[in-house]
Amino acid sequence: MAIDILIAEDEPSILESLDFILRRAGYSIRSVTDGDAVLDAVRRMAPRLLLLDVMLPRRSGFDILKQIRADVELRDLPVLILTAKGQQQDRRTAEELGADGFVTKPYANADVVGAVRQLLGRQGGVA
Amino acid sequence: MRAPIGFRISNRRKSLKISQAGLARLVGISPSYLNLIENNKRDIGGALLNRVATQLEIDVDELAGRAEQKLLQDLEEAFADPIVESLPFRPDERRDLVAQYPASAAALARLHRAYTDAVSNADAYADRLRSDPLLSQLLHQILSGVTAIRSSAEILEDVTDLDDAERQRFLGAIRRGSITLSDVARNLIGQFDTSSEISRNVSPAREIDDMIIERQNHFPDLEDVADCLRLEVARTGPFNVATLAALLEDKFGVVVVFGGPADDPGFPGQYQFDSQTRRMWFQGATTLATRKFQLARLFGELAAADAINQTMQSAVLSTATARRFASRAIGSYLAGAMVFPYERVLADAEASAYDIDYLGQVYSASFEQVAHRLVTLRRPGQEGVPFGFLRSDPAGRLTKHFPLPGLLLPNSGHACPLWAIYGAFRMPEALLRQVVRFSDGSRYLFLARTVQHRTAAFREQIVASSVMLACDVLHADRTIYASGLDLNDHSADIPVGPSCRLCTRRDCASRQEETLSSDIAASPTRAPLLPSAFTLGDHH
Repeated sequence: MAIDILIAEDEPSILESLDFILRRAGYSIRSVTDGDAVLDAVRRMAPRLLLLDVMLPRRSGFDILKQIRADVELRDLPVLILTAKGQQQDRRTAEELGADGFVTKPYANADVVGAVRQLLGRQGGVA
Repeated sequence: MRAPIGFRISNRRKSLKISQAGLARLVGISPSYLNLIENNKRDIGGALLNRVATQLEIDVDELAGRAEQKLLQDLEEAFADPIVESLPFRPDERRDLVAQYPASAAALARLHRAYTDAVSNADAYADRLRSDPLLSQLLHQILSGVTAIRSSAEILEDVTDLDDAERQRFLGAIRRGSITLSDVARNLIGQFDTSSEISRNVSPAREIDDMIIERQNHFPDLEDVADCLRLEVARTGPFNVATLAALLEDKFGVVVVFGGPADDPGFPGQYQFDSQTRRMWFQGATTLATRKFQLARLFGELAAADAINQTMQSAVLSTATARRFASRAIGSYLAGAMVFPYERVLADAEASAYDIDYLGQVYSASFEQVAHRLVTLRRPGQEGVPFGFLRSDPAGRLTKHFPLPGLLLPNSGHACPLWAIYGAFRMPEALLRQVVRFSDGSRYLFLARTVQHRTAAFREQIVASSVMLACDVLHADRTIYASGLDLNDHSADIPVGPSCRLCTRRDCASRQEETLSSDIAASPTRAPLLPSAFTLGDHH
């Protein structure tokens, strides 16, 4: 079943608040907490946007992004990177790998919602 | 930069009410030449300096201002620091400051050293933060905890229609985030306590340097102890490996073993002393020179522990690491003094014109051991040629140095790439000679050779270093290494600096780093290929 946003984040409290604020913004949400499960979840759920944390268990977000961009079927998927580092090097890496946006923790909730709206439009498209 | 010897000669002469012409006559030079020396327009050293010191009834080291040489070197580094680069220093300002206000000069040097140590500590912390995976993980946890707290707090504040269950969920998230942050904070404090201990390791090498420089690399007490120990060895037999091994067993219950496996499997070194089992092990391939030296060192450390401790107590050694380094350095000094008794080695050195290979044969010692001993021949009234010593690993990093007053040796890192110490790696086992000239006009004879620390099996990596001795060219003709060199031909000198960062030469094709001084424009060999005004894509 297609969804608006797939959140790949392993920190439960962060996942909980992201889920809450993005649902309130009108988007349908699914989540995955393990780096190895992200690609499979993307293929099954066909999200319109992937909100991807860099530091995931077992596989880094940059690794996953690289694979998505190399996959013919997935390469056009909008990806918003979430990182706790916020260093210039991470930003450059994200851009080089083809990320569509970059949000640095700790973020304001409005910044995340704003970045998602910029990529997906004002309202969710999928129930 | 040289200490203002001329001022000191002039002041001392005047205090003894000796005329310039009178002193010139006594030391065998013209009054006009003495005038140039007293005004620091000509250098003085070697035999002439000794004659002047004798006529002026003053110790030659005091006249030459060895302590001031070191202070001048320290100020050279301080004044080259970017933090003061914009100040309009006059060329002779440092020398005048040392001559006229020595306490202020010393205070400046000390403050600069404290500043550079603090910067090094900060860099060490930053490196640790950047590269330590555990710290990186802890920082990530902090940011994740703060994110959870911030996001949950914003929801509680901004969303007015939360039901009780939702409110409790986000309050719980804040509580969990706070607990995580507390745990991480405790972990980080522990990590930084460890980091502090590590960063203090930046200073121990400097403290050892200070200890050696303060004594001008000569320890009279240890020389006396070495003489006594050598007599004790002589009562048992000739000064060789067999006698030392027998004496160690007889007096200290130490068993010396050659060959076979080390006590620690996989131990990579050539020798190891186990204080528990009282076993001194040498790898089978260890050279005779190393065996003799290390056995002498062990004997000295066991027989003269009090003297070694006393020497260490007279130095400023603020960490356990510094004390460990100092103990090793002093133990090696004592061993050197035992292997090469002072008066005998000085006589042999003078007689052979400081032929290091010849001395190595006479004393069954390695090139490095001989070179090290030559640097310590600084007994007042019985000095040998003043040498500086440097050792480099194949990566170019300086691993040991004994300074020579007047010659700016980098404290760490890399020296000028033109120095013989690096050229020697291109000619393994051959001795490389160089006459070099620094930008202040000072000239030195450099002698360098690679040394292999042990014979390696086919699959083993060869452990090699390059060892260099340096002496002022004024003393070079006392050595055999001046043979065939025209020391008066300055055109043959190799123009060098202390290191790229401290060097003011702009036209050096070998420059590897920009100089610290902004007075010197960027080297033309390191300029970008295109001038900055040109933009790719312009088609005007």
